[in-house]
Amino acid sequence: MKIYVIDNGGQWTHREWRVLRDVGVDTKIIPNTTPLEEIDADGLVLSGGAPSVGLEVDKMGRNGEYLEKADIPILGICAGHQFMAIFFGGKAGASGIPEFGKATIIVDEEDDLFVGLPRKFEAWESHNDEVSEVPPDFIVLAHSDNCQVQSMKHAKKPFYGLQFHPEVEHTEHGYEIFRNFINVCGEG
Amino acid sequence: MFNPERFIKEQTEKLAAEVDGRTIIGVSGGVDSTVAAILMSRAIGEHLFAVYVNNGFMRKNEDAEVAKTFDATGVRYRIVDASEEFFDSLKGVIDPEEKRKIIGNKFIEIFEREAIGWGAEYLVQGTIAPDWIESGGQLRDTIKSHHNVGGLPSSMKLKLVEPLRDLYKDEVRKVARSLGISVSERQPFPGPALAIRILGEVTPARVEVVREACAIAEEEIEKAAESGKMDVPWQYFAVLLPLKSVGVQGDVRAYGNTVAVRAVESVDGMTAKYMRIPHDVLETISVRITNEIKSVSRIVYDITHKPPATIEWE
Repeated sequence: MKIYVIDNGGQWTHREWRVLRDVGVDTKIIPNTTPLEEIDADGLVLSGGAPSVGLEVDKMGRNGEYLEKADIPILGICAGHQFMAIFFGGKAGASGIPEFGKATIIVDEEDDLFVGLPRKFEAWESHNDEVSEVPPDFIVLAHSDNCQVQSMKHAKKPFYGLQFHPEVEHTEHGYEIFRNFINVCGEG
Repeated sequence: MFNPERFIKEQTEKLAAEVDGRTIIGVSGGVDSTVAAILMSRAIGEHLFAVYVNNGFMRKNEDAEVAKTFDATGVRYRIVDASEEFFDSLKGVIDPEEKRKIIGNKFIEIFEREAIGWGAEYLVQGTIAPDWIESGGQLRDTIKSHHNVGGLPSSMKLKLVEPLRDLYKDEVRKVARSLGISVSERQPFPGPALAIRILGEVTPARVEVVREACAIAEEEIEKAAESGKMDVPWQYFAVLLPLKSVGVQGDVRAYGNTVAVRAVESVDGMTAKYMRIPHDVLETISVRITNEIKSVSRIVYDITHKPPATIEWE
């Protein structure tokens, strides 16, 4: 099983690589300018990053190409999640109340990512922007007090978005969320 | 899952194949650079020379600690006292990034000097993942320039070797335990040392204050952990703030320094939670610092997670 991390310049990109490696997946970090045809993975993680995706979309490299053409599961985290929303016709922009550090995630739909998890858990956040409107084909999977879209999913494709960070140590059940995503990649 | 034994074997082979010639390694007495030194020494043996630089703002008794650690490893080493140079270069400097860069540059300057004496072509550093991640570059924002990354001049002639680049602290500790290194459990200490625990200008007098305050905080927290009152935090220290406040000492008005105490729980330093230290432990720290260091008349405890804060204040 190969799942690659697309580097959008996040502080925790390398943590995503580490978690995937720790759970036994073949993984590497690749630049977000890598053409899709050079990627031989069973799944992709679009990392977070410093760019404000609404304003600095050029810094997101070929993320759009992956979302348009890839037929493998994709998990967008933070900036990757926000970019996914905009790409499919939703909206993302400055958060009314940005979240940093600890927040409580409330799961609305278990779906694939939250299988076997409690409906409420503690997660670590670090975002100035957020998804304000999910695209027409997407459903909301989770929210928090200060952010309505903590997780979303494409209704027909295995594309998922997370605003919080499952890859950091202080997020509860982070490894399980990755394992659930890996299970989706294994079904392909 | 990370396998320290496999890492040691693969890295030692890789280093032996890649590094051909005399090498110096910058060491601090902490776990990262000590592990890097042992791996290097296994790979190239007698070609390795370790340099420990005393910049004037290291921890209390650090020269003796480093000597003890390196005597036990058998790696050839030298202690360089460069405190005067460091203090001179930091005169009037307040901005934390400027501080970090000046310190990083100074370290390299000294390593280059030492490399000439040893005839070294390579410089080894104990850089780990958070160092280069937080130092930024290309897409990644600079959170803080780590001294071993952000201070490297482009003109550096030494070839850089960083065997621990992809590891986090918890993984380095696993390697250290497997190698039987005595400092494997030592708490992290920043490369720019106490200079970044002094907000504002770094002077010998202010270093003395923060060094004592750190020693007291460490001692009391370790004592409390030993007696089972709390767990040992991931990192615990004191910071000297650049603001004074009014106090009263012996019926006399005081206008003294403020010290912040910080203790956090973490695994890799990339996220952290402030530690819920028992109040009686905090109280002992507060009473001791304000009694034993006369210029300090107020203590605060930092209750911020990372993010939004970082673990160190600068």
